[in-house]
Amino acid sequence: MNEFKRAKEEYESTPIPAELEDRVRAGIRQGKANRARRGWGRRLGTVAACFVVMFGVLNLSPTVAAAAADFPVLGGLFQVLTVRSFTDENGDRTVEVEQPAIQGGGAFAQQVNEEIRKRVDTKTAEGEQLVAEYKEAFLATGGTQEEWEQHNLAVSVTYDIKSQTETVVSFLVESDVSFTGANWERTYYNLDLAAEKELTLADVLGKDWVTVCNDAIREQMAAAEDPAVYFAADQGGFTTVDETTQFYLNEAGDPVVVFPPYTVAPGAMGYVEFPIGQ
Amino acid sequence: MSKIRETQLTTFLVEDQARFYRLAYSYLHSREEALDAVQTAVCRALEKQESLKDADAMRTWFYRILVNVCTDLLRQRKRVTLVKPEELDAGSYEDPLPEDGSLARRVDALPPEIAAVIRLRFYEELSLQEISAVVNCPLSTVKTRLYTGLKKLRIQLEGEE
Repeated sequence: MNEFKRAKEEYESTPIPAELEDRVRAGIRQGKANRARRGWGRRLGTVAACFVVMFGVLNLSPTVAAAAADFPVLGGLFQVLTVRSFTDENGDRTVEVEQPAIQGGGAFAQQVNEEIRKRVDTKTAEGEQLVAEYKEAFLATGGTQEEWEQHNLAVSVTYDIKSQTETVVSFLVESDVSFTGANWERTYYNLDLAAEKELTLADVLGKDWVTVCNDAIREQMAAAEDPAVYFAADQGGFTTVDETTQFYLNEAGDPVVVFPPYTVAPGAMGYVEFPIGQ
Repeated sequence: MSKIRETQLTTFLVEDQARFYRLAYSYLHSREEALDAVQTAVCRALEKQESLKDADAMRTWFYRILVNVCTDLLRQRKRVTLVKPEELDAGSYEDPLPEDGSLARRVDALPPEIAAVIRLRFYEELSLQEISAVVNCPLSTVKTRLYTGLKKLRIQLEGEE
């Protein structure tokens, strides 16, 4: 039986590809989108528009709120909760919104909540606008209404909590328009609610943050299975991090620097992440 | 309630991704196909999350999806693999058991349905009951496969020596 211990070790040493996380997240996104489509679409027909709003379900139902409080990511003195969640489908598109907000924070939290609310509204409106323009162009160039209805366009704005401690929370708001690919956007929020401020890489890594990040990123790029997947610096690839570089804090509290698609590597690699150990 | 369930599910899927990849890789032995399998299974899990009745059974439920995706991929692959006659293994009637090589490699050489049971039992440490739910077979079949596998591997369970 001891032989199995070694076999298990060998099995567990299977190298894990770096893009696995992205693939899992892509699967999650895909699955959510397909579900939204299948759940509400077809069945209700195309003429009748359906409108489902689960407004502040966490606030209304004590059972749900209690269950949310048990969830390990949430805890401490404040919580990041879904304050608005709805799926709205008509013959043209499905809109899926999950809007987070910080509860139990002070004026600073309120300010962030307001910013998030605006972002969610803007991104939803932008998505709707794109769908409308696409529809107009589609019909104007010979597409029929029937063909148009075969499309399953989706506009989504959702969020994901990356980590949370007693005082610091790190999460992202993600928006996407299913048929463009160019509208996949993530905005990261790293908030210190005790100090009432947004954290910067300098806050987390100290005054040498630029060197620390650049060294770690270059090292990881060079150690990649195929370092050539990253754009060379003289071809518009990675040169240095700066104040606008996005990041989040992982469960260990370490910053993870994130580059949007096409900035440091081909778009197919999606958002490219580099954990910066401390 | 379903929102909470979905969050639970996505957390589980992200956290245990390495295990899923390893399991898929043990079936497919191809990096790209294993990545595809994990992504497909994750996508399917979110689509079909209503079919998960009991949150405690999440692990077995997802393994079952993943194992199904992997076997589907293997089946598709079988359909397109062309082998030249001269490359066919002359001794294909014999037990395909290389005497040398590590145990892990010998497990890989077992027939897929038997290898699956061995891996789930010893690598993923599922109970026989759970395995029967994952591979969708009666408990007795799982036991038979496990013992057949161990026999082929010439391994004895502790206490049976």
